[in-house]
Amino acid sequence: MRTQLQLRVLIGLIILAFGIVGGLGPVFAQNPGAPAASEVENLKKQMALMEEQLRQLRLQVDKMAGQPVAPGSAGPPAASTADPALEKRLGEVENKADAALTATKKSFASQFNPSLSLAIDTIGSYKSNAQGFNPGDGTGTRDAGGRVNNSRPAGADFNLRTAELFISADVDPFTRAYAVINASADAANGDEATMGVEEAAIVTTRLPYNLTVRGGRFFADFGTLPHRHDHDLPFVDRPPSIDTFIGGESQTNGVEVSWLAPTPFYLRASGTIGNKLGADSREGVTNVNSRPIKGLTYLGRLQTYFDLNDDHNLELGGSIVETPNAEDITNSGRFERRLVGMDFRYRWYPLGSGVRQSLTIAGELLHDIGEADPVNGGRRTDVFGNPVRQGAWGGYVYAEYRLSKQWRPGFRFDYFQLQSEPLLVTNPLTGLPASTLNATGHRTDNRTWSPYLTWFPSEFQRLRLQYNRSVRGNAQSADEFFLQWTVFLGSHSHGFSERE
Amino acid sequence: MISQWLSRFCGLMLGVVLLAGEAHAEEKIYIVTSLPDLADIAARIGGDLVTVESLAKGIEDPHGVPIKPSFVPKLNRAQVLIVMGLEYEHSWIPALVTESRNSKIVKGNSGYIDVSLKVTPKEVPTDLSRAKGELHPAGNPHFNLDPEGGRLIAQTIAEGLTLNFPQHRATFEANLKVFLAQLNAKIRDWEILARPLHGVKFISYHQDFTYFADRFGMDYVGTIELKPGIEPTASHLVELMQNMKTVGAKIVLREPHFSEKVPNQIAAQVGGLVVKLPIMVGGSPEVKTYFDLIEYNIRELLKAAQVAGVAGKV
Repeated sequence: MRTQLQLRVLIGLIILAFGIVGGLGPVFAQNPGAPAASEVENLKKQMALMEEQLRQLRLQVDKMAGQPVAPGSAGPPAASTADPALEKRLGEVENKADAALTATKKSFASQFNPSLSLAIDTIGSYKSNAQGFNPGDGTGTRDAGGRVNNSRPAGADFNLRTAELFISADVDPFTRAYAVINASADAANGDEATMGVEEAAIVTTRLPYNLTVRGGRFFADFGTLPHRHDHDLPFVDRPPSIDTFIGGESQTNGVEVSWLAPTPFYLRASGTIGNKLGADSREGVTNVNSRPIKGLTYLGRLQTYFDLNDDHNLELGGSIVETPNAEDITNSGRFERRLVGMDFRYRWYPLGSGVRQSLTIAGELLHDIGEADPVNGGRRTDVFGNPVRQGAWGGYVYAEYRLSKQWRPGFRFDYFQLQSEPLLVTNPLTGLPASTLNATGHRTDNRTWSPYLTWFPSEFQRLRLQYNRSVRGNAQSADEFFLQWTVFLGSHSHGFSERE
Repeated sequence: MISQWLSRFCGLMLGVVLLAGEAHAEEKIYIVTSLPDLADIAARIGGDLVTVESLAKGIEDPHGVPIKPSFVPKLNRAQVLIVMGLEYEHSWIPALVTESRNSKIVKGNSGYIDVSLKVTPKEVPTDLSRAKGELHPAGNPHFNLDPEGGRLIAQTIAEGLTLNFPQHRATFEANLKVFLAQLNAKIRDWEILARPLHGVKFISYHQDFTYFADRFGMDYVGTIELKPGIEPTASHLVELMQNMKTVGAKIVLREPHFSEKVPNQIAAQVGGLVVKLPIMVGGSPEVKTYFDLIEYNIRELLKAAQVAGVAGKV
């Protein structure tokens, strides 16, 4: 780069000198007509041209050298140039070019610093009442942080959800790396903000056959919203179905191989092996202990995209995660976890006015067909402790309309089933306690309706108002209000997978 | 037996590879450009040797082109990527190039041709703060609207293509010569044609027309946007209109991707008129080539200046 610049400055100076001394005439007087028949001929022409220029230069130099010194000017040293003004200007130009060159040669220790950005995401919220899951009577049981399934307890609250540092740079010609360090309120620490490594991954950049390998800790390629950071979601909160089935972000420690198919349309496949899926996974599976090979989590995803025409497009994807034999360290039980997901995203984005007016409709459908209990951890059992393997559905769909560059109203509907909550009822035949699961096969329905409105004063600042009306099985329904304020410092871009 | 099969298989594979190589050699060079102006000029320089495709279309907001996954296979196959540079495409090209897994077209490698390299950028901020808006940290990137910018673009593209395909140097140079000769002639005509635009005062929605205005001696009074990329506030508009009235600016330029509401209101308030001007090839149905773009903009402005009674005397 620097040598290129030097070369350009040098060439510029030479041209300048030619221009001043020889006159610009010959340089631009070439006949721009018919293209040369062959390269050789072309080169010949160029040579001839250069020779001509050289000849003219010589002539001029000879003329200058031969010029008699004006009789009156004996005082000044016998400068051999004809025009002192020209000489002065040339000197000035040279000095300027030298200064510019010197400036570019400076080196700073910080030159190799990675790009940095910081996201601050703060939320004020109010919730009418807490919602319990397990007993089915509305009181709820809570985890150490006083939450049930990531829903905040009743009352008003200000929450600094995210102070996220994003660092990225090329490592060398073969790899790049990035890290997302987040200080966020964490239920496990009594809602105190704790520093955590959300992602820290190494990504290859030059593998053949359109392959990319990513290793470290990262948000695994599952679905569309599970691998978004909290502040990058189109809503204030992660859809409850995703939160329950995945456990927050789709974080994993592991290695991922992804492949871009050499097709004329977009087709991408990826496979991941990791410890577990879900940053706040409640299955009791942690990163701490090593596990048998079968205890690892295996993910796969296939996604594609079609331009229906210039203004309409559709994205489709399918994902699967399978842990053949997860070990729960708290319950010391073993269970299989399997989750399949399908996602779609339709976008109307008129070419000429999409920035100001566009529509997005997107959703995901998840089917949990494993044995894992997403609420209590470990293997899903009924009240008698018998293992239960029963599919559960969950998902969300949302529509967002961009009214202008700044305003985007939207609406989200979320639904999920939980089958792991044995509601205590009495079996009428035996008179013994029985769970709804065994008695009727009933699962609880959980629905959330969420209208929201986002305002972007600029690309790097966002305010969002959201209302959640949630009905959780037999629990009391709740109203929640959120006001979210988010800013981004530095160049904020998580890249292609986090695109709008 | 096995060795026989193996040798046959190897022979077959060799044949396939040779055929593929052969087919590849006959194929045209596949060039992807970010914007349509670059595609038009690259097609002129590359001639019959190349197939060129622009990712963005002329009516789009060049700063806000959506990251469509359908761009990824194109970039994956691209032998050369041509961009405007000066952070013009910062919100979409880098992410797409990373996803394309094509190391040839990564910035810094030979397949990445940045046509701003020869340009002396204008309006380079001395104070890099987001408080100054979000878009032009490296200076104003809209140099394509100045025909002299077109010259630099063509030269840089020819050099870039020659660097990547030295075997076609003669063709590229010959095509460049033809293009520049036409451009030179056009520039002479345009400078005569645009003489009445000298001193004509105007505003635009976004700060697109700096290079154009400087070339043809027009007088930039302000922009509707508060800062590049930031929508106007009410007080900013009041101030802008006051300013227009004070200096007698009547022309409001609107780029096709901005809404017409605010420009129309301003024009009504100051007794001026709105001119819709494309900032890229294809931004208006009549504008099919780079030459069309400059010519169209000059002629539309002349018409408007005459209607508004602000056209200078030749």
